[in-house]
Amino acid sequence: MSVTEQRALLGAGIDRVDGPVKVTGAAPYPSDVRYPDMAHAALVGSTVAAGRVSQIDSAAARAQPGVLMVITHENAPTLRPGAAPPFAGPTPPALQDDRVHHYGQYVAVVVANTPQQAASAARLVSVSYEPDEPLLAIDDARGELLRDPWGFDSQRGDVAAGMAAAEVRLEARFTTSENTNNPLGLFSTVAAWDGDTVIVHDVTQFTSNVQASIAKAFELPESAVRVIVPYVGGGFGAGLRVWPHTLLTVLAARLLRRPVKTVLTRPQMFTGVGHRANTVQTVKLGAMRDGELTAIDHESLQTVAVNDDNVEPVASGSASSYACANASTRDLQRRLNIPVPGSMRAPGEAQGNFALECALDELSYELGIDPLQLRLRNYAEVQPASGLPWSSKAQRECFAVGAERFGWFGRNPEVGSMQERGWRVGYGLAGAAYGWWQARTEARVTVYGDGSAFVRSAATDIGTGTYTVMKQLSAELLGLELRQVRFDLGDSDMPYSTQSGGSGLTGALGNAINVACNGLIEKLLALVADDDDSPLQGCSLEDVVARDGGIYRREHGGGAGSDAGEGYGEILARHGVADLTVDGESVPPDPGQTGMALTGAFGAKFVEVRVDPDLGLLRVARVTSVIDGGRILNEKLARSQILGATVGGIGQAIFEETVTDPGTGRIANATFGDYLVAVNADVPELDVVFVGEPDRNTPIGTKGIGEVGLVGTAAAIANAVYHATGKRLRSLPITLDQLM
Amino acid sequence: MQPFEYMRPDDAAGAVALVAEYPGAQFLAGGTTELDLMLKDGVIEPERLVDITRLPLRGIARDGDVLRVGALTTMEELAADATVRGRLPFVHEALLAGASTQLRNMATIGGNLLQRTRCRYFRDAAVAACNKRAPGSGCAAVRGAARMHAILGASERCIALHASDLCVPLVALDAVVRIQGADGERSVPLTDFYIPAAADPSAENVLAHSDLITAVDLPLPPVAAHSGYLKVRDRVSYEFALTSAAVALRTEGATIAEARVALGGVGTIPWRAREAEQALTGAPVSLATFRAAAEAAIRDPFTVPGTAFKVELAKRTVVRMLRTLAPVPS
Repeated sequence: MSVTEQRALLGAGIDRVDGPVKVTGAAPYPSDVRYPDMAHAALVGSTVAAGRVSQIDSAAARAQPGVLMVITHENAPTLRPGAAPPFAGPTPPALQDDRVHHYGQYVAVVVANTPQQAASAARLVSVSYEPDEPLLAIDDARGELLRDPWGFDSQRGDVAAGMAAAEVRLEARFTTSENTNNPLGLFSTVAAWDGDTVIVHDVTQFTSNVQASIAKAFELPESAVRVIVPYVGGGFGAGLRVWPHTLLTVLAARLLRRPVKTVLTRPQMFTGVGHRANTVQTVKLGAMRDGELTAIDHESLQTVAVNDDNVEPVASGSASSYACANASTRDLQRRLNIPVPGSMRAPGEAQGNFALECALDELSYELGIDPLQLRLRNYAEVQPASGLPWSSKAQRECFAVGAERFGWFGRNPEVGSMQERGWRVGYGLAGAAYGWWQARTEARVTVYGDGSAFVRSAATDIGTGTYTVMKQLSAELLGLELRQVRFDLGDSDMPYSTQSGGSGLTGALGNAINVACNGLIEKLLALVADDDDSPLQGCSLEDVVARDGGIYRREHGGGAGSDAGEGYGEILARHGVADLTVDGESVPPDPGQTGMALTGAFGAKFVEVRVDPDLGLLRVARVTSVIDGGRILNEKLARSQILGATVGGIGQAIFEETVTDPGTGRIANATFGDYLVAVNADVPELDVVFVGEPDRNTPIGTKGIGEVGLVGTAAAIANAVYHATGKRLRSLPITLDQLM
Repeated sequence: MQPFEYMRPDDAAGAVALVAEYPGAQFLAGGTTELDLMLKDGVIEPERLVDITRLPLRGIARDGDVLRVGALTTMEELAADATVRGRLPFVHEALLAGASTQLRNMATIGGNLLQRTRCRYFRDAAVAACNKRAPGSGCAAVRGAARMHAILGASERCIALHASDLCVPLVALDAVVRIQGADGERSVPLTDFYIPAAADPSAENVLAHSDLITAVDLPLPPVAAHSGYLKVRDRVSYEFALTSAAVALRTEGATIAEARVALGGVGTIPWRAREAEQALTGAPVSLATFRAAAEAAIRDPFTVPGTAFKVELAKRTVVRMLRTLAPVPS
């Protein structure tokens, strides 16, 4: 790959390019969008979790000043289901019948001239229900049980035989709580119709899917729908779906023939935009006295909505975590009258890794083997399920570097043996991995007569740094300075992009930009193929490098000052071309062709906790995260990803729990005052370091690092708590009442 | 949010009159409780807001052994006061353990006394059963997901917590609330100010509709100079207490001469633990004494499954605070 050799602009920690507009408040989020004559919608949620709406009286709401319209299932036009994103079904359109599937499900939309008028009138919509008894508990056998819902269950070897052969056996049951994504930005939609076309400003991580969904729901050509989101306001997975409020806002704007804005309330963010499903998991391990695993058996039951689907393999990651001849993983889902679960940062692994890595820790104490040595003893040199070589794996280095930086071997392995100023001290660790994912994505590059370039894609930047790293990458690939490159995203009118999710966008988009830039250079070389004035005449892509604002022959050394090449502007000017545009598309690599397993990121987490056993206080004292993320495009922003994910992991481990009222299905703590996330004072110094090599599966060599930083945090904390106290806590979150 | 009338009078008597003349009127000070309940939760709908922030009720003045704190003094201002720091450490610590800097810069001392419970069943109009909001309707929290709820002064009818940190040392201190009403001024000891939910969930305190708190008098007894506030919560900062203890202690040799004890995070009102004070006074400084005081502090708790752990946690909180003020061997 001739043009990907130079890396002067990559790796370095340049500041995020969108930083200044964000910290000065100038970045326009969807909730900031205003149109003249814009109306405002407020949503009315069901106050029962199951049954049907028997009557809606909206007369009082309609009589309020400024109220323009009340939409209910009685007067809503028919909407078709939207498009299905990669990890879920198509969102069922709201207000299509009188059935209630969960608490908070929208039963009416009130549209008024001001948001205050809409919210006030929404409280006056009187809804009567014929309630059914809701199914709310994961162990409620009346809820439909789905076995192997996605065909991901795995089986290799003979687990029963492996268990029988084991010298030590362990079985443990783990539970993880519901968590809610809670991006700071309230999800918002502004829809403005112009005839039969509509512009939608929407908080989403996936513009192209919103476009497709609105087109399907309203039976429009996709060309009639434009979705814009230059800044998202956070997502953590909540923006991977098209949620009912988006379709209802588009509907209200169409019926009203005015632009309409909807901004969800914080409580609606707990019922309307997904959450992490709770799980009950059983892990069985068999091992020889020397630590060799003879069997891994992991079964997970998670909750899912009665009227929607969610693809979230919790147990299946255990099949590829460690070398073991006998392994079985099974995922089950129970349908309940709960708000629709969806992806939340590190979906599946956040729960599944907790169970497996805690079980391994328990096994290490049973065996009297250091937890780190036990993991290295069963290190998977090749992908255990397929037997294919990894395209890159530096997890051994993650463990080694982490142990050194953290001082792992300085710990006294005896439980409860370490104390400091009245606090019990514990060390814990966990291995981490996040599976590879990528999907088809396109990018478009234009080079202008002055030699500058514009690169764009319909992708989103959810705060991860996509704007920054794609600008860096584009400049690198084209041999331009950063100031000569504009990179833009967040508009479905740009070339198709997959979601910003599943740790897949950087690879998918980076490789698409690579294809586009290569294509641009090839097109320019084609332009000069018959050009006697060009030093590049007769060159192919392999013969050249992009540097110093143009294309230079490789055999002339390519060093600075070489004149065996020319600038983009010179080529365009001489051929009377104003500008040149090329599209590029990336598709996921095929292991059948590469002979390598599709390989995601790896990591190791080392945690020190302090426990006050009298009051039950638990403090995370420090965390070392060592990550193999393949090529790191911007170390500063990559570090931010791991920092943020670690904070999310601390939240999952000791704070976050979405609580459902047992009788009603209402979320009992749907505010930031009641749903606890880690605050600054809860977050200690976090050590982050990257190891490894560029991944061999794609030219760009990234592996995606959005999720892996969260994985393993909860297990390492729980394992450290055990080391500090001797209490083996298998239920998240770990709260002080469990520790006192 | 329903439409409302907004007024901003210049003097206290005028403010009281504007509220007195209209049943749907309420005072507005820092707004950290009132606006949440109006705008976000929609559980109160005043038809008239009388903004008192321009009234001359802000400031701290010392008069002998009493510190008079104007009702509009902010939490942050009181926390920074040198007399409070030196003579009332537990008040200083409780102030800084509450809310966040941003909120403390808005929230007033008068408002802190009147803050409404954080109970999510009270703060959600979609919940029908709330004896505090709708007397006689029941209590959803008792059968719901209770954790941040009260175990003292509570009953089947209501377990809503009074979540103030500040009020915990203030009841220990015998602070006095100065009130301007439609019929003139009066003073009420803070220990007589609140009405436990077990007695009447909807009453909360002794204020009449148009009564305005103008100041809070903080005595400066010598015992309070050796005091502390311990707040136990799930996260390190920015959360209400699961349990807390405000303790002041004066020892003479190995004997406790005088003690003040109050509990937070456990009561439907800020909880003065006089039984604990009696158990301490005249007793030797020892772990056994401290534990006996803690046992005396938590008598006849009303618990639900989610709050049962608070009984023991509150006792340990009292013991820890006592041990911090008077170290004893384990």
